[in-house]
Amino acid sequence: MTQRIRRLGMVGALAAGAALLAPAQAGALPPGAPKIGMVCTPGTVSGSEHTFNLVANTGYISTPDGNTVFMWSYANADGPDNGHFQSPGPVLCVTQGQTVVVNLTNALPEPTSIVFPGQDAPVTAAGGAAGLLTTEAAATNGTVSYSFTAGSPGTYLYESGSNISKQVEMGLYGALVVRPAAGANFAYDSAATQFDPSREFLMLFNEIDPDLHHAVETGGTYDVNALHNRYFAINGREFPDTVQDNSSVLLPNQPYGALVRIQPNSASNPQPALIRMLNAGLLNHPFHPHGNHTKEIAQDGRLIAPTEHFGESIGSGQTLDFLLRWDDVDSWNPANNPFPVAPPNYRNVFFKDGNTYYSGSPYLGYTGTLPTGTVTQNVCGEWYFPLHSHALNEFTNFDEGFGGMGTLLRVDPPGGCFGAPASAVIVGGSLKGGSASALALDDNVYYQVNPRTTTRTSATTVAQTSITVASAAGFPASGTYYVRIDNEVMAVTGGQGTTTWTVSRAQLGTAAASHLSGAVVSGLATDWYAGFAGVPAGAQNLKVTYKGRNCANTTGTSCTAIASNLPQQTVKICNWTIAGATGCSTATSAGWVTLAPPPAQPQSVGSTDVTSTWTLPNPATAYLGTGANGGQVRVLVHTQRWTAPSPTPFSTWGNLMKIVYDAP
Amino acid sequence: MRALALTKTRALLVLAVASAGLAVTSSTASAAPVAIDLCASNGQITMPDTTVVNVWGFVQTASCGPDLVNDSNFPGAPLSVDAGDVVTINVTNALPPDPAPPGDPPDHTIRFEIPGIAFDPGPTDAAVGAMVTRTFTASAPGTYQFQSAGDAGRQEAMGLYGALIVRPATANQAYDPASTAYNVEVTLLLSEIDPNFNAAPDTFDLHGYLATYWLINGKAYPQTAGITAAAGQRVLLRYVNAGFDNTTMLLLGMHENVVARDARLLNNPFDANAETIPAGGTEDAIATVPATAPPSPNGFPLYNRQMHVTNGNAPTPAAPNPAYSPGGMLTFIHP
Repeated sequence: MTQRIRRLGMVGALAAGAALLAPAQAGALPPGAPKIGMVCTPGTVSGSEHTFNLVANTGYISTPDGNTVFMWSYANADGPDNGHFQSPGPVLCVTQGQTVVVNLTNALPEPTSIVFPGQDAPVTAAGGAAGLLTTEAAATNGTVSYSFTAGSPGTYLYESGSNISKQVEMGLYGALVVRPAAGANFAYDSAATQFDPSREFLMLFNEIDPDLHHAVETGGTYDVNALHNRYFAINGREFPDTVQDNSSVLLPNQPYGALVRIQPNSASNPQPALIRMLNAGLLNHPFHPHGNHTKEIAQDGRLIAPTEHFGESIGSGQTLDFLLRWDDVDSWNPANNPFPVAPPNYRNVFFKDGNTYYSGSPYLGYTGTLPTGTVTQNVCGEWYFPLHSHALNEFTNFDEGFGGMGTLLRVDPPGGCFGAPASAVIVGGSLKGGSASALALDDNVYYQVNPRTTTRTSATTVAQTSITVASAAGFPASGTYYVRIDNEVMAVTGGQGTTTWTVSRAQLGTAAASHLSGAVVSGLATDWYAGFAGVPAGAQNLKVTYKGRNCANTTGTSCTAIASNLPQQTVKICNWTIAGATGCSTATSAGWVTLAPPPAQPQSVGSTDVTSTWTLPNPATAYLGTGANGGQVRVLVHTQRWTAPSPTPFSTWGNLMKIVYDAP
Repeated sequence: MRALALTKTRALLVLAVASAGLAVTSSTASAAPVAIDLCASNGQITMPDTTVVNVWGFVQTASCGPDLVNDSNFPGAPLSVDAGDVVTINVTNALPPDPAPPGDPPDHTIRFEIPGIAFDPGPTDAAVGAMVTRTFTASAPGTYQFQSAGDAGRQEAMGLYGALIVRPATANQAYDPASTAYNVEVTLLLSEIDPNFNAAPDTFDLHGYLATYWLINGKAYPQTAGITAAAGQRVLLRYVNAGFDNTTMLLLGMHENVVARDARLLNNPFDANAETIPAGGTEDAIATVPATAPPSPNGFPLYNRQMHVTNGNAPTPAAPNPAYSPGGMLTFIHP
């Protein structure tokens, strides 16, 4: 029996997949809709009138256990959806004071209608016929038009007002959001309700008893008193489907995801997220957020005295608005605030199904090693917390957990995903000390690079302009650059990349002099790049941060101060589209692109650490390697001391090199 | 002053309450002795689909006896006293004979209680054929529920419940603050019935309890009484949940301001339109009737949002069936 159900479910899924190919199907979301967060159906705005055209129709949803369920719902009759079935109904967002017109066409076999609980302005109806609770559209393509003035801002349900014990349970409901005049980044006309508009989330709950839906589909009978719900949904999906993107192709009739994604609250991220919670179901749901308290600010579209919760029941038909911020109160980090206890040994840890959201590191923004064969869904050390109904029978799909009325709160590292260099490669210079791992943290450990050196193979006269060196490795292969022998600085103007150089003598405030055979030839520049790995395709809002300094000494462990004639630092990123990996293979390759201001480059960097962050323009795809270089980002640090008077060799000390980005 | 204890019919009682309310406005709410006679009896009521259900109920009468409960007195109008009154309630048990020795289940001994009210010391129980007198001082205004806790909830499920209103000194207010003033008052006693249980209250296996009738003041729609209030009037809704289910009542077309729960004023009253009243709890909410047209010709709907708006074992056929739906906990506010 179970197998048969699964097989039927698969057929349903395949059929739905085939329907995807139809050009009219757009996943029931407007073009350009974000993958995460609440998405409004646009409707049509004309002056102060906001019109939505809805059709009540039937369709199927998929459940994570492979079943499909017959549903009734409202669909958007306008393009690009053109009545494509969706569950729940479209999210109708209007502004306080607008005249809202909802034109309903009834494709169901019995009269139906819409009521707007919480709208205290009169809802007038045109067309249709008087029903028990409101005016109804006749069965089979009857129509009715409702209009009302959008009243107090807030979160409201709209739902069937006809044969409600059947029709609401069958799925005839959706969310109505009234925005205040204060702006779309306020939940209410109160400064205390300001939120980050890119972090506005919808959580609409409902339950499903498939027996009722089967009876309605097949024309059977069903006793509503015997309701026994088996599926418990957020935004029409059951966990783990709830964490899929909006408009996922896997769920063509369930367009709304329920992943909540935030970043730690900080001075640069001061606004909380807003969660609009609606209970279209018949049961109350004790909803339980892990990770942080949620701040309840309103109920049924009305502000309340705020209260904070880690468990709050939402009653049937109720709406609640919550502000959510996440504070990193402990600020654990492996460098200077590690856990006081060792993490558990993996031999004592079980990863169910060899699959986990854990990054391998317990620290926010860090990734670590997982047992061989364990697959992680983690991108960059972000944290995941469950948000779920604490009526744990509802945290299941047909009694199998986890599932049902649950989703995840994803806490990204501050500023986004954090990437530390996986490697550091010197393309002009030599290693003085340290390794790439020194670049991962802002601490007292440095990655240190000296200028490249070689030796003269013979004595040098005062006037000689062609010199031969033992090796050109590490010196630029093109372009004019400076080297120093003893107290004289020369400019290499020809023969770059070979061991015989054409030089201009007595440069940058130095005097020509003769030099012994075997004299050390030292570059006056360092070039190295950091390689980042595993950056996901589709990453956006890429930022590069580099913190480092330059020291006057090339030996010893301490940093000798540079008081004047500071080295000039230029940080570049690899644009992989210019010449692929070879375009970023040497210090002077064509693929390196100077990071655009602010801050302007080059920068004078002496023996005090200088921190700079550059933001790259979107799309960031050009900076992400593909193919064999998939997921790689390369950042080059070029430092030169090519200014008078009499520059001397120096060492470059990298403290912190990191990238942050919004993962897809 | 009070004739409540002697009233037998709801019509008479309504008049009595009205006159009592008028009397309050011209008198001080000083401690007045009030005596109320309640008779725990059995009887039958008729559901909208003509199903006849056995019930037990408290009837206000000094002439207690079996078979007194009927459609006109179930569950009875609220008891109404003034804050400060010293109230004596005489509860006589005229339930059917106890099938087991008193104290052993099944047990028809009445255990009278009013959560939120502290009785004076004294006996609590009345065996079949006996009477118990309970006395208390009505110290705090509000909406209360009285009930019999006997036989592990079976007596309450059979209908042994009712509402008690304690009125503040000022007439037409729910509580002392003027913010609780109202023009129209209605008590909504919420409960439900499984007729199979009611047919065999002593032996029914409660694991199989499945309510099929959902009642406001003992009536299912369309037998529920409408709430008559004109535009602009403030309607005090006294919710009393005597059922087993946390009950959500949806008010369409207006919000209600919830001012009190369990006969205690809230520090932070709030507006709601889908308000859940816990089983055993009471709530007082005030709704102001809009001047504009209601969403339906019947008025502003007030109904159970858990969709308990059907009567009986309502099968869901292809089309709505008026024999079963609409029904249940549904009423309207209308002029």
